[in-house]
Amino acid sequence: MVKSELKNQVRRLRFENGELTQQKLADRVGVTRQTIIAIEAGKYAPSLPLAFRIARTFAVSIESVFQYQETKTSPSPTNGKS
Amino acid sequence: MNKTQKRALFTLSISIMLIAFGVIIFNSMFTPGDRTAGVKLVKVWIWLVLAASVGGAVFAHRKQRASEVNNDERDNYIKKNAVLVSFVSLWFLMFTVSIIPGFVAGDTGSIPVPLLPIINMGVFLIAMLVYSVAILAQYGWGGKDGEK
Repeated sequence: MVKSELKNQVRRLRFENGELTQQKLADRVGVTRQTIIAIEAGKYAPSLPLAFRIARTFAVSIESVFQYQETKTSPSPTNGKS
Repeated sequence: MNKTQKRALFTLSISIMLIAFGVIIFNSMFTPGDRTAGVKLVKVWIWLVLAASVGGAVFAHRKQRASEVNNDERDNYIKKNAVLVSFVSLWFLMFTVSIIPGFVAGDTGSIPVPLLPIINMGVFLIAMLVYSVAILAQYGWGGKDGEK
């Protein structure tokens, strides 16, 4: 089984860019502050256009902001037994 | 708290009040005695539902703040999920209210006609309540997301 995870560097990039507040970033990319909070916490995966807007705000590539990771989890020993 | 959450809270509180009032009227129609007062209450209830619908529509179109984004893709995603949950609940409710009167009153039984608006509109009110709860649940009941 493959488990996927979307990590992000939004919080770090905000602080590296003059301690940009969540509200200011939200205004720049056209979303609510709650959405930025949810993205930073990994609770919400943004759409591709929003991900691009965030990356362009920080003038970095999209992969510098978001990293997609896949981890393979081994099935439990009881699985597959009849 | 954003606009979607405020609207959900507004809908939730109005739905609860109207459902509670509807239940009281429903019970009064089955108490022995004169039903005239009950029938009048049904009319009052219908007007209240209409007023709440108009009030809700006006409230929904009011802009929160000119500078702030009212609605974004995450709000739309949450609303889409809530609509789905509410639609499923609507199916269950419609099925239930179609079956229960037959069991309660029997094959040859009858129910007062003034109760029909309460039963039918009540189903939609409960679906609205489910919609609001689904929205608030997805936002983590309002506090967690906004306070970090």
